[in-house]
Amino acid sequence: MLDQLFIGFATALEPNNLLFIFLGVLIGQIVGALPGLGPSAGMALLLPLTFGLEPVTAVMMLAGIMYGAQYGGTLTSVLIAVPGEASGVMTAVDGNAMARKGRAGAALSISAIGSFIAGIGSVMAVALLAPPLASFGLKFNAPEYFLLALLGILAIGSLGGSPLKSLGAALIGLMIALIGVDPLTGTPRLSFDQPTLMKGIDFIPVVIGVFGIAEVLASLERIESVQPIRTRLRDMWLTKADWMKCRFSIVRGGAIGLFVGIMPGAGASIASLLAYLTERKFSSTPEDFGKGAIDGVAAAEAANNAASHGAAIPMLSLGIPGSASTAILLAALILHGIRPGPQLMMQESVLVWGLIASMFVGNLFLLILNLPLAPVFAALLRIPYVYLAPAILGVSLVGAYAATLDITTVWMSLFFGVLGYLMIKFDVPRPPLVLALVLASLMEMSLRQALLLSFGSPMIFVERPISLILLTAVIAALLLPVFAAVRRRRDALRAGVGTGR
Amino acid sequence: MRLVECVPAAFMLVLACGIAIGTSGLNLWDGPTPGARFFPIILAIAATAVALALLFAQWRGFEKVELDFPTRLGAARVGATILALIALAAGIPLVGFVPMVAAFVALMLILVLRQRIAISLMATAIVAGFIHFVFVRWLSVPLPMPFGI
Repeated sequence: MLDQLFIGFATALEPNNLLFIFLGVLIGQIVGALPGLGPSAGMALLLPLTFGLEPVTAVMMLAGIMYGAQYGGTLTSVLIAVPGEASGVMTAVDGNAMARKGRAGAALSISAIGSFIAGIGSVMAVALLAPPLASFGLKFNAPEYFLLALLGILAIGSLGGSPLKSLGAALIGLMIALIGVDPLTGTPRLSFDQPTLMKGIDFIPVVIGVFGIAEVLASLERIESVQPIRTRLRDMWLTKADWMKCRFSIVRGGAIGLFVGIMPGAGASIASLLAYLTERKFSSTPEDFGKGAIDGVAAAEAANNAASHGAAIPMLSLGIPGSASTAILLAALILHGIRPGPQLMMQESVLVWGLIASMFVGNLFLLILNLPLAPVFAALLRIPYVYLAPAILGVSLVGAYAATLDITTVWMSLFFGVLGYLMIKFDVPRPPLVLALVLASLMEMSLRQALLLSFGSPMIFVERPISLILLTAVIAALLLPVFAAVRRRRDALRAGVGTGR
Repeated sequence: MRLVECVPAAFMLVLACGIAIGTSGLNLWDGPTPGARFFPIILAIAATAVALALLFAQWRGFEKVELDFPTRLGAARVGATILALIALAAGIPLVGFVPMVAAFVALMLILVLRQRIAISLMATAIVAGFIHFVFVRWLSVPLPMPFGI
């Protein structure tokens, strides 16, 4: 494994790759700092720009945006109490409370250091866990792949939000993916004799529309000018007491983040919330939580960065994305002609290990960007968002066109932009749609191949041991939200009786 | 339950019907093999079930409905942006990509977002320059040129 990692470092440290890792983390940092534009939107908008690049360089750059955004989100959370994305909510509470007490620099410092330590720890876990998981994945056949993809989609629904709406969004994604031709027989399907539809719905306009355009439309509803709290370089130093308080918070937050990140569908937001709540239990000053607890900030930031790295484990080893960002990373691999799956680690070892090594390098870049240069990035927050919004819309449409050189892609991006906006308004989660779109082909092919192997008998899903375990997990993922809803209802009724209502 | 809350479930039902009708000419099974209609029908059934479950859950109050609709001004701004985006897409084949994006940005900043003209024009020039240098010069993307040139 060490040999492979050295080869990975040799790849990542090539001047061209170093430049694009730096560009990736820099763009990630900026995208994360812009409220309403998360890593998925940033990656979607930048995806067409990577077509001229080598696949390994493209993936390194896109991954840089993915984890760089976690660092960037801290700036807006701490300085203007507006999280760049959902995973920064806990930081917005305590980090901004610290900033209002004149400790913005300390909050930004501990966030950067916590994210760095947790990020490096998680990348080591990726290097250690991905190869054995990929070897295990080689035992998988069509039934296991179908159930694994199904589990990935259902897991998103069972964790937070409305499970029914999540499932509905995933089904919409799967149904969109049906358009084009049947992958096994080549028969035109739902294309209504239109040559454009015959090619199928491309991933890029969907993701640019649903994440990029939709986010900007939603943010245009309310244009607020918020002045960020100023911070200086000399404020960035941490005291010994800060260090002593945060060292185990970072470790705990990182471990929770990694564990949550590996689970399909959980993601950085749940990781940071879980780490924050856990830290409150461990803290010697739990009363400070919500009022500027530095250990709360450290744990939440360590967790969200660890989770974004941890999500790479199932993506690299099994070809199953655990989050919207890793779904885009997976789509980038497919668009660059690389087939994801357990064979990826063997067939494309330079790419996989190069990507893992690039995460070490990228985290180091981010530490440098976020410690001495944090005040510079903080100054960027003074640019009014109102000037950025039309620019983001214009550039995203150019990006969509550049991907296919077909004007239809621009129209599709607009359609999916409006759909994504309506999904935000009706509180329907968007990541399941994108995840399902990526997994649709794998799901359909493996389901039909499994039934072909068994001559149409569904018993193939229970006769194979791994498949049976996965099926049990699928049933659990289906029933878990039902039990949770029943329990919530029962508790609400009891509370109603208790208060005499 | 308000009628507007049914929109996501209704959309899923319409999509499921569309899938079922749109694939009606395809085979469900080709001998021992699941046919081209097999997966679409499974999805249509699942979508119908989820949509009905969602309607039931909303009707009985099991499902928390959080609709966050914009104010009148916000809705007008979003509506104007969508119209400007449609005009942008429609004008690209005639006027070219870079000039249309420049017109879009300037129009958005000055008319929709009510920003100062001088700064808006400066921002427009920066965006148009960025697109030209990154996409046309660096990546050599053949963007549609003015008047089909």
